[in-house]
Amino acid sequence: MALCEAEKTFVLHGVEENFRIDGREREDYRPMELETSIVSHAFGSARLRLANTDVLVAVKIEVDIPFPEKPNEGKIEFFVDCSANATPDFEGRGGEDLAIELSNSLSTAYQSSRAFDLSKLCILKGRKCWKIYVDILLLECGGNLFDAVSLAVKAALWNAQLPLVKSVHVDGNNIEMDVSEELYDCQKLDIKNAPVMVTVCKIGDYCIVDPNQAEEKCSVGSIVVAVSGDRLSTVLQTGAGSLHPTTLVESMKLGHTVGQRLNQALWEALQQIPEDQDVGFLK
Amino acid sequence: MSKKIHIRLANHRVNSSVAVYSRVPKIFTPGEIITPQNEFMRGHGTYEEDGNLKSSVAGVREQVNNLISIRPLKSRYNGEVGDVVVGRITEVQQKRWKIDTNSRLDSVLLLSSVNLPGGELRRRSVEDEHMMRQYLQEGDLISAEVQSVYSDGSLSLHTRSLKYGKLGQGVLLKVFPSLVKRSKTHFHNLPVGASVILGNNGFIWICPTIVNSEDSVGGFIQNLEEVIPRQQRETIARLRNCILSLTQSKMLVFDTSILYAYEESLKYEICELLQPEAMVDVALLTQQRLCMLEE
Amino acid sequence: MTIDHKRINGPEETIPYELFQKLNTKSLTTQFNECSKDGIRKDKRKTDEHRKIFITTGVVSQAKGSSYIELGNTKVIVSVFDPREIPNRTDYSLKGEIDCEFKFAPFSCPKRKLQQQDSEEKHYSAIMKQALESAVCRHEFPNFQVDIYALVLHNGGSALSAAIIAAGLALSHAGVPMYDLITSVTLGLQNGEKLVDLTLEEETLCLSPIADSKSHGIVVLSLLSTHEQVSQFFQTGNLTLEDVVECTHLLTKACKDIVPLIQKTLAKHVVKNVKESI
Repeated sequence: MALCEAEKTFVLHGVEENFRIDGREREDYRPMELETSIVSHAFGSARLRLANTDVLVAVKIEVDIPFPEKPNEGKIEFFVDCSANATPDFEGRGGEDLAIELSNSLSTAYQSSRAFDLSKLCILKGRKCWKIYVDILLLECGGNLFDAVSLAVKAALWNAQLPLVKSVHVDGNNIEMDVSEELYDCQKLDIKNAPVMVTVCKIGDYCIVDPNQAEEKCSVGSIVVAVSGDRLSTVLQTGAGSLHPTTLVESMKLGHTVGQRLNQALWEALQQIPEDQDVGFLK
Repeated sequence: MSKKIHIRLANHRVNSSVAVYSRVPKIFTPGEIITPQNEFMRGHGTYEEDGNLKSSVAGVREQVNNLISIRPLKSRYNGEVGDVVVGRITEVQQKRWKIDTNSRLDSVLLLSSVNLPGGELRRRSVEDEHMMRQYLQEGDLISAEVQSVYSDGSLSLHTRSLKYGKLGQGVLLKVFPSLVKRSKTHFHNLPVGASVILGNNGFIWICPTIVNSEDSVGGFIQNLEEVIPRQQRETIARLRNCILSLTQSKMLVFDTSILYAYEESLKYEICELLQPEAMVDVALLTQQRLCMLEE
Repeated sequence: MTIDHKRINGPEETIPYELFQKLNTKSLTTQFNECSKDGIRKDKRKTDEHRKIFITTGVVSQAKGSSYIELGNTKVIVSVFDPREIPNRTDYSLKGEIDCEFKFAPFSCPKRKLQQQDSEEKHYSAIMKQALESAVCRHEFPNFQVDIYALVLHNGGSALSAAIIAAGLALSHAGVPMYDLITSVTLGLQNGEKLVDLTLEEETLCLSPIADSKSHGIVVLSLLSTHEQVSQFFQTGNLTLEDVVECTHLLTKACKDIVPLIQKTLAKHVVKNVKESI
């Protein structure tokens, strides 16, 4: 989508006035819609819709052998699939760069053990651990992908059920695991500190969050801030353009405060989800 | 202003339908037989097979004398001569501009069908051809009228009137072309303090009220210095969200419905109008007022 | 990158024998205290002291521009090739593109690296691209792309920063128009200490938290010094906002300190060429 100079000026002045083209203030988000347990084959799943952006996340869990350098830890991996359903540009290898960028940002954001404790996924030191595969499918792209993806990932991990291991027997090289047969005897993952990401866009002299596509076009530079609890777990710059150090600091501050609010909002939404919900999709 | 971030659950999704008539017209689906006789003429959205007239799109039947056509809800814009359209320049070519007007093919605007600065009767020189990008460049928005339709369905536009031309500061909205009601005029100076151009092609342009239309429109000058005051911005943003509410509920967009929606929306903050509940509420109230008007 | 079936790729996974030594049983805290004691680090540097840098240009004679950097033990070669038309592209782009490939040599790390780029290397390539994009006058070569290859010969920590500095120098050596010189520094936080220019050992230590609640993590920042613009910023770990802000200031200063060295190297290169031509 191209924009002409006059439209850009209109957006720019609006941001300066703290009154954006859809009536939001600089720190406001558009309403979002969340749905969990929608894929029955997955251990946990979630779908998040933010304006025109639609993300589906499914979590699969498998038994694996821990890395030799980290014998006490399980594994988590993120895979992003830019479906050509979202835009024809993703056809073939078109979405590869975006997919790598998204999955890398997620894995660095989840790297610290304070954000997500992998040692809880260890079953037997050096021998057996759980491996979590987080598959992210972009169904529709309407801007602000990082925020939507991180929220959906967090919701899917919240929804995930880790099978309960009752006992482990070691017999030479054989390891036998006794997994609870009760279907509902599951553990939940601890995701209280799992990071959510906020994209902060600089337009003119000010910074905004949750840019729509027109605003993304006007941006001179943007950073993604991943907030875990009250700490920052990742900050990275995206898109072309550079920032003055003071602007960088200011946008990190903005991302930090908004990220905490976003976390709170997600948490409240997750609490509202009824326990005995039917599995469904696009209700 | 609440700084709250809204994350709702899908279970709580609101139904945006505001249909008041219980009578739903017959919807034809592709391949369905409309009529077995072949004395009717084949219109858009239909085809003939085995002597039957069949539908090729999902939509409602429309009949004008002997011409039967099926009108789908969603379609690209089918241009007709005399339509007002809003479009975006996609390419500058030899003596013509290519314009995206949401129709099946890109439309063209010939250099000979624009009013160049310096009078209507000025001859077009070679310099003008070189200057084309100065007048209109890629990404610019224009309002124009459909001059003719080529045999392949692509449109030829013209801006030979002072009310057409390059658009300045404002907001563009894209809605389904079928939701824009055809009327005598598509330029409205709304009494609430903003102007809208309801393009027949589903592109809607909202901008601050044009005071003296003689020198601001029809030209190729954009005033980028001017800062639009807060109050006008609020009106524009409210109008934008109101039109989106209407189109979300698949209601027709025309000056009265926009005004009604605007008045009904006044009880909400502007950014509250992004919430689905408020959007449906505005659409419903507007629908009721429109019904009362008909009675 | 496609898989090269003709090449003998070696074993897919290798495990360095060091992991099986009993040395690894020390707790993180003691390991860290060995690394940094009373503001003096293992290699006798202060916490804010940079390692000695050696940098030179023109190491790859067939490339348009090239440079070689040594940052303590870290050794990186970067080469830049002539702009070429962007392959497999139909639409015209007004701005030129930069294509970066960051690669660890198979023997550069304790663990053997494969010939194909792994996800870490791809990530670093993306960060490099981000850093260099705003330094280059991209509008001067529309519809062309410049290829930059960075090869780490020895990873002694801060390899990404070293690669970015070297790439900036290689670009100017190649005569690609640039707005500014680019410098980059890596900083690590652990246990309340901020260590500038990390060694590999410090890098691994900064990644996992020590038992108390202090910040830990790694920050990489690249700066266009005369314009005072941060062209790339990357942070990982778990930091408080105050710590990140403080790191930003420390890093901006550290980046500016390297600039004279880069300028000198470039000037030397030009002088040498002029003398040769006489």
